[in-house]
Amino acid sequence: MSAWDTCRVCPRLCRDGCPVATGSAREAAVPTWIATTLHGWQAGTVSAEDAAASATLCTDCGACQEHCHLHRPVPELLRDARRQLVPAPAMTPLRGVDGAAQVVAVCADERDLAAVLESRLGQPVARLRTDDALGVAAIEHPSFDARASELRDRLAGRVVAVVDGGVARALVGARVAFRWAWDLVGDPAPDMVGSCATGGPRPLACCGAAGPLRRHHPEDAARVARLFAQRGDVERVADACCGEHLGWAGVSVRDWLDEALEALA
Amino acid sequence: MQPIARFSEAGIDRAAASRDCWPGGTLEAWQGTSAPLPARVWWPEDEEQVAAVLRAASEAGIPVVTAGAGSGVCGGARAIEGCWVLDTKAMARIGPLDPERWTVRVQAGVNGQQLEDWLAECGFTLGHSPSSIACSTVGGWAAARSAGQFSSRYGVFEDMVLGAVAVSPGGGVVRVGEGGEGSDADLAMLLGSEGTLAVITELELRVWPAPQRRWLRGYRMPDLPTAITAMRTLMQGDLHPSVVRLYDPVDTRIGGKTRPKREHSAGSSSFVRRWLRRVDELPAVHRRTLALPLALPGLLNRVFDGIASGCLLVVGWEGDEDVVGALSAEGARLLDALGEDLGAEPGERWFASRHAVSYKLMPIFERGGFADTMEVACRWSDLERTYDAVREAVSPTAVVMAHMSHVYPEGGSIYFSFAGRGDRKVYERTWDAALRAVLDSGATTTHHHGVGSLKARAASEEVGPAVAGWRAAKATMDPAGVLAPGRLFVDVAPHDPPASPPPAPEDGLGTGAVGADLEVRAEGGEPRWPVATLPGLPRWQRESWQQPWIGVEGLVGGRPCRLGRGPRSAAGPDLRPWLAEHGATTASWGIATHGERWMGEARVEHPMRVARDLLRADLRPAALGLRDGALVVGFRGPAAKRLAVLASDRVPGGLTEVPWRMLPVPDGPLEPCPDDDPAACHATASTAFRPVGRTA
Repeated sequence: MSAWDTCRVCPRLCRDGCPVATGSAREAAVPTWIATTLHGWQAGTVSAEDAAASATLCTDCGACQEHCHLHRPVPELLRDARRQLVPAPAMTPLRGVDGAAQVVAVCADERDLAAVLESRLGQPVARLRTDDALGVAAIEHPSFDARASELRDRLAGRVVAVVDGGVARALVGARVAFRWAWDLVGDPAPDMVGSCATGGPRPLACCGAAGPLRRHHPEDAARVARLFAQRGDVERVADACCGEHLGWAGVSVRDWLDEALEALA
Repeated sequence: MQPIARFSEAGIDRAAASRDCWPGGTLEAWQGTSAPLPARVWWPEDEEQVAAVLRAASEAGIPVVTAGAGSGVCGGARAIEGCWVLDTKAMARIGPLDPERWTVRVQAGVNGQQLEDWLAECGFTLGHSPSSIACSTVGGWAAARSAGQFSSRYGVFEDMVLGAVAVSPGGGVVRVGEGGEGSDADLAMLLGSEGTLAVITELELRVWPAPQRRWLRGYRMPDLPTAITAMRTLMQGDLHPSVVRLYDPVDTRIGGKTRPKREHSAGSSSFVRRWLRRVDELPAVHRRTLALPLALPGLLNRVFDGIASGCLLVVGWEGDEDVVGALSAEGARLLDALGEDLGAEPGERWFASRHAVSYKLMPIFERGGFADTMEVACRWSDLERTYDAVREAVSPTAVVMAHMSHVYPEGGSIYFSFAGRGDRKVYERTWDAALRAVLDSGATTTHHHGVGSLKARAASEEVGPAVAGWRAAKATMDPAGVLAPGRLFVDVAPHDPPASPPPAPEDGLGTGAVGADLEVRAEGGEPRWPVATLPGLPRWQRESWQQPWIGVEGLVGGRPCRLGRGPRSAAGPDLRPWLAEHGATTASWGIATHGERWMGEARVEHPMRVARDLLRADLRPAALGLRDGALVVGFRGPAAKRLAVLASDRVPGGLTEVPWRMLPVPDGPLEPCPDDDPAACHATASTAFRPVGRTA
């Protein structure tokens, strides 16, 4: 029995949760249809090229798993297929932690999260700039397990603060406990739309401008992001990861860190 | 050169657009046969792009299959080799919502569940809940005339459509219905046309505030006839339940639906699940698990019949807190006299898993069988006969069970589920026998799944010579014949319908000449829906664009023709208005027998605004309007007095009881709100007070 058999006869019931299927409007992007394509690849009736094009119509947001009433591990199966079909992207080396403070601000961009935390907490805060070393792409990389181990060593015993959903997912994958920055400084959870990671999956689970989709199908990624912004009438997003993705697709939004930095200034 | 719209000729896109959820196609795919491949998939984003694609297809003579989310189970969105698939899902804008008018505009490609989620965040609901809601689009709902699980409360899908935008190769962009240039008849012709006349691109839909209260209950009924009587009594008593679902004895027994949940999970079905799990561990066996039992369907059906007794009826009400309380109390009183109250658990269990049927069919394919469903509809007096006939016809090739989940004052639908050996010939024999039995029983071949290619021959036979109405529209809208060829209606040998039997009393129908005024009283009753006077009324009040008849009969081209076999049919567009103007001689309409009723009137400053508020509070008067400047409100049925009290509380100064008298059918449009604030009333005016019901 193929891992994809259930998906092959499913009436594509995960489609409403999938940001890529929704935003791209491509039937080929519905996770259950991707499964059908990958089954064909395994059976020798679909080329590896088509299978790769299919398996990368994905942001790896995990919404299909949440929507699957038969509890199929669809994201995991797609990830496995991508590992076989698509060359892994180059990985930026993981930086060291800048400072020995108890609290470490982990940030994916150049904005100074540590400064905000130092001001609000009244204590020194160390910095870890991740660039592309963490995030969705890193999770899929074959060397992620080694990186996770490295990360655990560097952050052991520290309080880790993040504002970026992609980084948060990588930390979860690496089994590193973390706190949302707003939570750490005592702000209420930002009442904003469009967060991949903070439990606010409406209007869609993810803007789509992340992960394999952005690398392999940039036009679809931008399309998904625009629909995401339109559906949610998005001006503010909770986490920085969403903000960066939307910005890449030409949708200008603000996030909690923008506002915290403004207040600091 | 800039393409006229986004398109793909990539293999993965063409393959993904090749088939919908027709189980026959799923069986093919499972057995390794690929579906016909389209040459190209288009994703137009607006009407202009749709028009350009259709023009290009017409000029080149390329068939166009319009597809949404592909949840159709009749092959309507299955590709034709070399065709273009026009995928509507790039038309995905939701909104704006008008919270005053209670309407929302949506583009046709919007996913149903996403629309419902969006509305829920705004405090509203569409009230349309088909089991395919997660994998279907609003355009598909309109094209195939969908019906949701709460149809007896919110209406079927066309009841929710106030207006539509559509594009046809021959007519270009047309706006019909609310605020459009097309007529109500145009809207009726568009809905249910399944992509054969035009591509629906946008809809204006009626929405409702999220219900304040939901009341659900299960009743064990001793047998099917008693349960059917219970459903009919509820629907003809103006009790307006939101849910009425009857499971036949086999479905009740096999599904363990009347057992308490604890017993359910620890009982024999648990053993079956453990056994299946064990089998799943043996891949070679897994695929053939059901091959043996499904090879003996006749025997299995007899065994199931032998062990089945009693059936489960799930009923529910939702909406305004007080109104739900009043209606459910009267409903429960009626049902207590006919069956055993099982409490809230069976209803809540159904509600929690109400979309699960789509998941339940998959394991049957996985284990070497096929599973399919067929939904038909007929009048109360034909229900048992149709049920028995279909079961008998299908039994030699498939295991069959059924439930009834869409009911109306004059009848209801039967939803058959059948499973057989995963063999193409067995599958086709099963369907041929089932559809023949339906046609011979006088029922409609489709209540809400549409026609597609699966039922095209049967639907053509059912509609008979009235198909000329659709052909006339087709000649204008799609002169090149490129839209969905071979779908919906096809040429069939003439097959005249049998003469109609006299109306059975339990159907609540009166019959007379097409030209008769609806005020003609049937013996022992009065017209059930003489006039639609106010906004926001679902089907039981009849929408302005719908004609008021249940059935229409006459001669077309010298051949007898009968439409309206069931209380509702999705066998293409509603062709009854066309038949009424082209050869119909006889019609039947709903009548309510004289029973409990109450009428009151009030002189209030803003009568139409008060009337609208009564409707919006889920009070569903049988009579509502102005008489000599006074607001008149009337209720029928066992809950009449309870509802009257609630209504009176909502009318400034209260209602004063007056003798019951049906309101006259108005001759022309009423003034929507002569004394009211125009800003509050203007928006609803055009659909609010347009009279219907005058047939002459």
